[in-house]
Amino acid sequence: MKVQLYNYILAAQKMNRRQMLKTMAAAGAVTMMPKLATADGHSNIRAEILKIPGVGAGSPTDSDWQRVGELCLNATKENVAAGEFEGVELTFMGLNNQNLHNFLFRGFLKPWEAYTGAKINWIDLAQADYNARLQQSIATGTVDFDIIEMGAPFEGDVLGKGLASEMPDWVKKQIDMDDYVDYLKEPVGTWDGKTYRVSIDGDCHTFAYRKDYFGEGSVTGKEVPTTWQEINQISKDLVGKEDPLTGLPAHGYLDPLKGWGGFGFYFLENRAAAYAKHPNSPAWLFEPDTMKPMVNNPAWVQAIQDVMDLIEADAYPTDQINADPGTTAFQQFLAGTGSMLTWWGDVGSSARTSDTSVVGDVVGFGVNPASDRVYNAQSGAWEETRNEAPNMAYIGWGVYVMATVEGDEKKKKAAWSAAAHLGGKDLSLWASAYPSGFQPYRNSHFQFEEWEEAGYDRAYVEDYLGSNADSYNHPNAAIEPRIPGIFQYYSVAEDELAKGYAGKYASAQETADAIAAAWEKITDQIGRDEQIAVYKASLGLS
Amino acid sequence: MMTDGDLLHTVTADNISNNRKRLGKLLVWSTALFGLALAAWQMAFETGRVSTGFDTWRPVLYAYMLWATALCAAQVIVNGEKGKRTLFVLPAALFVVSLVVFPLLFALYISFTDWNLASPNGPQPNGWSNVKEMWNDEFYWNALKNMVYYVLAVSVEYVIAFGLALLLNSQIRARKFFRVVFLLPLMLSPVAVSWMIGKSMLEVRFGPVSRLLRDIGVEPSFFGSPEIARFMIMAMDAWTFIPFMMIMLLAGLQALPSEVIEASKVDGATGWQSFKEVIFPLMLPVSVTAIVIRIIFKLKLADIIINVTSGGPGGATDSVTSFIFREYRDRSNVGYGTLLAMVYLILIIIFVTALLKLVSRWMERPA
Repeated sequence: MKVQLYNYILAAQKMNRRQMLKTMAAAGAVTMMPKLATADGHSNIRAEILKIPGVGAGSPTDSDWQRVGELCLNATKENVAAGEFEGVELTFMGLNNQNLHNFLFRGFLKPWEAYTGAKINWIDLAQADYNARLQQSIATGTVDFDIIEMGAPFEGDVLGKGLASEMPDWVKKQIDMDDYVDYLKEPVGTWDGKTYRVSIDGDCHTFAYRKDYFGEGSVTGKEVPTTWQEINQISKDLVGKEDPLTGLPAHGYLDPLKGWGGFGFYFLENRAAAYAKHPNSPAWLFEPDTMKPMVNNPAWVQAIQDVMDLIEADAYPTDQINADPGTTAFQQFLAGTGSMLTWWGDVGSSARTSDTSVVGDVVGFGVNPASDRVYNAQSGAWEETRNEAPNMAYIGWGVYVMATVEGDEKKKKAAWSAAAHLGGKDLSLWASAYPSGFQPYRNSHFQFEEWEEAGYDRAYVEDYLGSNADSYNHPNAAIEPRIPGIFQYYSVAEDELAKGYAGKYASAQETADAIAAAWEKITDQIGRDEQIAVYKASLGLS
Repeated sequence: MMTDGDLLHTVTADNISNNRKRLGKLLVWSTALFGLALAAWQMAFETGRVSTGFDTWRPVLYAYMLWATALCAAQVIVNGEKGKRTLFVLPAALFVVSLVVFPLLFALYISFTDWNLASPNGPQPNGWSNVKEMWNDEFYWNALKNMVYYVLAVSVEYVIAFGLALLLNSQIRARKFFRVVFLLPLMLSPVAVSWMIGKSMLEVRFGPVSRLLRDIGVEPSFFGSPEIARFMIMAMDAWTFIPFMMIMLLAGLQALPSEVIEASKVDGATGWQSFKEVIFPLMLPVSVTAIVIRIIFKLKLADIIINVTSGGPGGATDSVTSFIFREYRDRSNVGYGTLLAMVYLILIIIFVTALLKLVSRWMERPA
């Protein structure tokens, strides 16, 4: 679970000492029960690990991670004999975010190391250094790690170049891949029909809004909008009105108008997906046969035009041109400026726990907005049907085994066993319930009674996780292409958008054309034929 | 025994035979030819002209090191004792030259390729494409134009710095305290300045400066319009580095001969006359040095821009370095980014050389 979400739920359900003691007493009773007393040992483990250290009992520490790792070793023991990997050394590259990512992996894998006899060396990277380190390793042929924690958008760079090892069947069985939410199933994690990824996370954008702006007698006098058309109208109508909470000028939807190292493009995607992601095709950024950018088709131009309309109407807060997504979420929305936003899960969770947040009691969530009409790129015409396409921005982290282990069966099995341990069904439940940096990503993570039993307030868990679950399993989810250099495309698009918003281009169409031209250049630079091949593979079209 | 030449440093007699000299030269030339041949072979392999070669260029590096070793050895073989003296410097010189020349040559090569780190084919030469792209890249020229504005701002910084230096040089109360206080901004990292001031104090909604402006009836906007955004960047950069110029000028002021200034006062010069006719001309060499160093600092301006505006709005605050940073870091566009950097390097060399030539007449303190 993302740290802020964890803190938020704790703050929201206001767990007191008495409740916490009750929970812990229950946990103690469970652990004291003789094994025979439980009907199902497997579900017992799930209940048991969810009590470590106990919701509200402070942040988990290394001893907790090791205990969870120890309790979840059964799956490994079914496939690996004790001491089987004696003498094997593996190198694991991942993030060094404080008490998240590699910190947890170390604890989880310690009992695994003790049982199997393998030794793991660690490459810890700051998040900001991650992309550059990975790209340089690939470009200079110096892949010096056997296992990597990696986001799905980089699959094109790694899987597309044959740098990863294919997942053996026993691993698929051990981690129960059928349990993944729909969008994390094929083609995500696969390349040319082969599976490579052990998912440990899920990501998507959801819609956050201020409840006090909507409903009868509110400043808008309208219900919560569900389409971008309604959002734009409300945003324009709010010009000149007063925020009910702060008394400062009221504002509607908050678009980030400044880039954010490529990540800012996800926010235009939120708007564009509803217009451009037609249910008849998984492609919505490039045409699969030619890699011709779709970013300057009427759907995308409409999305850009929507933003430009709001700039024209003076509907944004002052200096919005210098606001990146971090600003819109944490300095504006949470601080009481603006009433609508799309973001990852943690904006809602920060609503009550952040010192600068004033909107904790009035924030609501939903799936990303829809559109009244959708552009059919195949027929080249708009269709007047409602279209919803939640944006699975970044797709989430996974664990991948590199091709460096090929040729050494013992090492290969060890690497895959370690990856499978980290992506195990039970262990992942713990990671989704406690601060880990990861969100729930399996259908079994949404069994709310398990959370309730562990001490969570059911209403809050359902509210937050429900909007994620609805987005994950949406039949028309917009999933980004996992092609080499995807963040280069995003980054240059951000730059061109920033110029367009600043009035450097004459129109939305001209701005979109500039992005398309820049994308064509990147495609040619990386190699068009290669890009077409990997794009099709990433969409599952080849 | 030598009877002429450099007798002072000669401690032993050198009687070097022609054969020995030939051996030394042969050693240098044979290793050089070997290295060149190996490099040519590897180049042919890389370009697909021959089918066999090495996986990496490392063997060529070893050949270069062999040549460098042979060159050092040959100094002694050919020149004897004199060669030994050369050996005190030559290895270090070779090392430095290698670290400068090889990367520069590599960068030059890279700047004429289409190397994108995500490309599976690695760097591929693309002729003059990058140059043409640069020529048509109005946002690079825009960044260069911004650099002109940023460099011109140094003149204003100089005036302020001179004023502060004069103030701190005069007999004021708590002079030492103020000297330290005025130096404090220089001790801050520009990254910290950009966060503390650009992203916190000037934050439009809850930044204290914004609140103050709102209280007096002005709607704050610091990075909304191109001109104001550029000015704010200049101001933050100036705030950090004016103390640097100030401390240089203050040192200059303190080193001025007091007799000359006193003499001007005896002659009846007013404060302004004394400054204009005596202090300012005497301070010219220090002033020019401070300005030139500050301009060199300014040409590297990037951190504040990257943190606060990312070059926006619409490229209005972009410096060349921040522009290249985005090209490199966000887009892994190594080929084009390197070309832009090389062009900028050439422009800087020309500009600074011309500047130094221009100001050289003021660099000498008048007699």
